[in-house]
Amino acid sequence: MNFLRRKFYSYYLQPRIEFPDRIERREYAFILFNEDTMHRHISFSSKEAILTYFKANVPAHAYYSSAYYRIPSASTMKEKQWMGADLIFDLDADHLPNIENLTYEETLQEVKKELLKLISFLTEDFGFGKQDIRIYFSGGRGYHCHISNKSVLELGSQERREIVDYITARGLEIKEIVGERSIYKDRYIDKRIEIYPDHGGWKGRIARGIINFFKQIKSMEREDAIKELMKIEGIGEKTAEALYDALTDERMRRIEKGMIDQASEFRRIVKPLIKRLAVSLHSEADEPVTADIKRLIRLPGSLHGKTGLRVTKVDIDAIEDFDPLTHAVVFGDNMIKVNVEKPIKIKMMENVYELKKGVATLPEYLAVFLVARRMAVA
Amino acid sequence: MPPILFIFILFNFVDLFKLAKYPFMAEAKEWVKEQKVNIEEILFDELYERARQRGIERVKQALEKGIIYDTPLINDVDCAMEIFSYPIARMLVVAVESDYLLRRYALAEAKRAYENMKNEEEDFISYLAKELGVEVNGEKIHFADYLKYAPTWDMKWKLVNRELKNGYVILSKNEVARLIQEAIRKKIYSELSYIFAPPEVKKVFRNEIIAIKSRIAFKDKSVKMKEVKADYFPPCIKSLVSAAKSGINVPHVGRFTMVTFLNAIGMSIDEILKIFSSSPDFNEEKTRYQIEHITGRISSTVYAPPKCDTIRTWGLCYPDEYCRGIKHPLFYYRRRRK
Repeated sequence: MNFLRRKFYSYYLQPRIEFPDRIERREYAFILFNEDTMHRHISFSSKEAILTYFKANVPAHAYYSSAYYRIPSASTMKEKQWMGADLIFDLDADHLPNIENLTYEETLQEVKKELLKLISFLTEDFGFGKQDIRIYFSGGRGYHCHISNKSVLELGSQERREIVDYITARGLEIKEIVGERSIYKDRYIDKRIEIYPDHGGWKGRIARGIINFFKQIKSMEREDAIKELMKIEGIGEKTAEALYDALTDERMRRIEKGMIDQASEFRRIVKPLIKRLAVSLHSEADEPVTADIKRLIRLPGSLHGKTGLRVTKVDIDAIEDFDPLTHAVVFGDNMIKVNVEKPIKIKMMENVYELKKGVATLPEYLAVFLVARRMAVA
Repeated sequence: MPPILFIFILFNFVDLFKLAKYPFMAEAKEWVKEQKVNIEEILFDELYERARQRGIERVKQALEKGIIYDTPLINDVDCAMEIFSYPIARMLVVAVESDYLLRRYALAEAKRAYENMKNEEEDFISYLAKELGVEVNGEKIHFADYLKYAPTWDMKWKLVNRELKNGYVILSKNEVARLIQEAIRKKIYSELSYIFAPPEVKKVFRNEIIAIKSRIAFKDKSVKMKEVKADYFPPCIKSLVSAAKSGINVPHVGRFTMVTFLNAIGMSIDEILKIFSSSPDFNEEKTRYQIEHITGRISSTVYAPPKCDTIRTWGLCYPDEYCRGIKHPLFYYRRRRK
């Protein structure tokens, strides 16, 4: 660990920390190298004091509280006196399906998709301006999204939970977002579903999602379309064929107007589509961290002890272009000898490395990354 | 000697009739002050006997019916008596020294205002809202305000089931009124929590206070207890209870599931409340109010616990071997309890 600590020290001599607003109202917490315990309830009165702490202690992990307190260094919540908290969304790869089969880069790509969905909810539905939203690469396997707009600071955890439920579609009731009409014909009742693409909220989202989905299906070859339809849970070959074959130009026009005739087949599509449109924020059984009004979050500009990558701000308009293994790298390319313990292929700083087990001489940035991830020893 | 009767228009649409319907408004308080009537007169003078009787009625209706009914308001004297009856009712409520009555009274006043608001113009509703610190823009309200006042334990009020666009929730006029009802309830409840009744009040209303106290005691006893066996809770409820007990944030739907379940098997409000008390942002007043609502103690609807299907879609289901064939968490409990 001495190798990593030395490297971190060299960064913390002149770090690029992005300080939170109201520095003196936040609680800070650190985990030092070779220690398991978290040093908590620390407060600082100035930027300089924080920088001095980094130099003197060289933490492996650094956090600050999303909340601000009257007395941040007090040891109990009650004594701290909660004053408010930023709204924080934590998007992490851990719970995404099939994630264990993906490489580090692919994993981060998957999280990015969730991040883009989240931003669409925050801007279109919740009306936050892009200037209200700050995105950070976590240094690990995810992204954090911070909102410090005045309107949210004093929301309690129940109110925050409602926001989480909104973007994850938890508690969404289908009868509230799609209409069902019975049309009485001579001898039978025709059930028809109505959707509302021009509406706001989930009502509009699900409607536009359905229309786009059917447009996409219609543009495909029959065989591919049926395969695509069958990817949806609960849709067998017969239903898929029926859905595809009924999708005439006339039917498509009606769908775009919000009228859907095959009520029973259609109903099976709604739920899985909601799942695709919702943000997968955390595993459902997890404690919803966003609702936590006293949580700790990685300090932007600090290094992540398990990757050596920097917690880095991501331009909200250039999320697609952000490459953590280039833009969150702080170390240089002096060559260092390390012992690689596992074969690995990785693209870092635009260079592709294919490493075998054994001694290798690598640029400092890659050496730090591998040692931090315990894939090599220095 | 009718001192009360000057009519003045406070605002375009806030006249004496409005004040009689919404006596918690700042203008009503102002009006009472302007009358320069002192507390002795209100409590003892014959002139105000009608206001005192109406004040007692307000409290009794709140306790027994959960709402305060309108009285006919024909002329200015009717209005004046109605307005005076409000501070009298408040003094009486405070003098009884029961938090239960306090909560029930605040809700009843708010509900009465809600019923009246349904017939008001949009302009007045927005004005009233603003006075209560809620910014309503036609039928749009900012989501942060919405979350403060919406009864989100009810599925159709959950934000996710609402039309939210550019930061604003779109509501119908009645729904706006419903949110304001909650703002009124909060205002009245918090005001009453901080005031004390003057000693004369206890004297004047001595008999009423005794009668009300005994009714409250009776109502408390009417909630019968069954012995609760926590070992036989289904695993979903067990995990929710233990999460709540260890202070972990339980998602909203989880709280709803837990409270409706525990209520259905006969747990008391206080016992349910105790489970939540280690939550990091535990707010006794708010939590109690929500529990009382879901369990129908202060409202008319008793919510039933959700069935297994629903619990599953909420991601709260962790079945064990006894769950096979069970479609509802209560069946699980009843089967194992036998």
